[in-house]
Amino acid sequence: MAKKTETYTEAVEKLRRIVSDIERGELDVDVLSENVKEATRLIQLCKEKLFKVDEEVKKVLEGLDA
Amino acid sequence: MENDKQAGYSLAELLAHVRLSLADAFPDSYWVRAETSDVRVNAASGHCYLEFVEKNPQTNQWVARARGSIWAKTFRMLKPYFEMETGQVFTSGLKVLVQVNVEFHELYGFSLNVLDIDPAYTVGDWVKKRQEIIRQLKAEGIFSLNKELRLPRLPQRIAIITSATAAGYEDFLHQLRDNRAGYPFYTCLFPAVMQGERTEESIIAALERIDAHRECFDVVVIIRGGGATSDLNSFDSYLLAAHCAQFPLPIITGIGHERDDTIVDLVAHTRMKTPTAVAEFLVGCLDREAEWLAACQQSLAATVQHLLAVQKSGLQALGARLPAVVGSRIGRERSSLQVMGGKLPLLVTHLLAQRQNELDTAKQRMRVAIESRISKETRALELHAQFIRLASPAYILKRGYSLTLREGKILKSAAEVRPGDRLTTRFADGEVESTV
Repeated sequence: MAKKTETYTEAVEKLRRIVSDIERGELDVDVLSENVKEATRLIQLCKEKLFKVDEEVKKVLEGLDA
Repeated sequence: MENDKQAGYSLAELLAHVRLSLADAFPDSYWVRAETSDVRVNAASGHCYLEFVEKNPQTNQWVARARGSIWAKTFRMLKPYFEMETGQVFTSGLKVLVQVNVEFHELYGFSLNVLDIDPAYTVGDWVKKRQEIIRQLKAEGIFSLNKELRLPRLPQRIAIITSATAAGYEDFLHQLRDNRAGYPFYTCLFPAVMQGERTEESIIAALERIDAHRECFDVVVIIRGGGATSDLNSFDSYLLAAHCAQFPLPIITGIGHERDDTIVDLVAHTRMKTPTAVAEFLVGCLDREAEWLAACQQSLAATVQHLLAVQKSGLQALGARLPAVVGSRIGRERSSLQVMGGKLPLLVTHLLAQRQNELDTAKQRMRVAIESRISKETRALELHAQFIRLASPAYILKRGYSLTLREGKILKSAAEVRPGDRLTTRFADGEVESTV
């Protein structure tokens, strides 16, 4: 797993690649399980960004002198 | 009109004369092209007072100017008519075509009293001006810059330019926060004047404040309370459009109007009609992502299941095919053996024939050799036989020799013979007995 968490866009790109790899059906069963694990993690990550309030962003915007 | 110095005119007399002369010289009403300026309405009377001016198109300097008035009775009808037709507030800075009476009043001076107005002229001028601005933005290569920016997949951090008191602002926030899926949005208001002459500079100033924090935002929205057609001239300004077009974040407009797009709408990344629609658009962006993720998850699960099933059935098929494969292989080997077996008799026959042939040849050669040998031996035997025949006593006797025997024994010397001996002489054809 990458140390730094991806941005949403990066995660989506990775996810796209993995899904298309899997869909092409060219993966070994061994590699498949790795990929599915990674894809699941990425989906989770994306969903968090999509649905969970990022307190840090909130604080930054509240602190802005508009 | 004559006049002598002593008598003179009173001012009123002179001006009355001017008034009458003017009335004589301009008895009709006239259509005049001019630009409005300093438009104001007397709240009590409802009369509209303004200035008509004409500028030198090159230098922009005023070259003509006249006071104007529109009496309340006329203005009450003309104003809504004009604004409906043009989509613009009747205000200063408009090119208008007005039908006027030329008037002069001793107390109030010269003025043009408006009887009618032709909105088509103003629309035409506005269209021309807009086209000119659009052409300029395109020529400078900035017209589509904002449209070329990529809207982030999750436009959640939103810089809002509007007036804090605008009804549209509340609608927008409400629509955004009450989204059904519960997406979080982060908003920051950059207040600006959204109507009147200060609109342009105020919005540009807000854009500049946002630009200073641009990494904090995904998108800028410019919204304004909707409702009836109102003052949109500021949104057709070259300066504001140029600022929007070149802004580094995507701009979404919801200026709330029904007429054709303003130039700011045209250069913005995305144009929505109302603040509410802007909020719906943003929520829609997140909906799309959420749907995509869900579809992704589903397709992933389905694909993995499918792949595993394919693998499994592949294995099964392989297992099922094994006996057949083995059987077919054995069959192939067997039939090749059979073919070989079938060939064997022929091979053997052939081999036997070959050997037979060899034997025959050997036999033949042997016979010839034996025969030649026999005939050789036969000849040798005949030679021996002839020799033996020639050497035999019988043959010698025939040639005239005779044998002398005494008592059956051959006598080889005359000295052995005694008188009185009985001798037998043998000839080839018989014997003779004699006594010595």
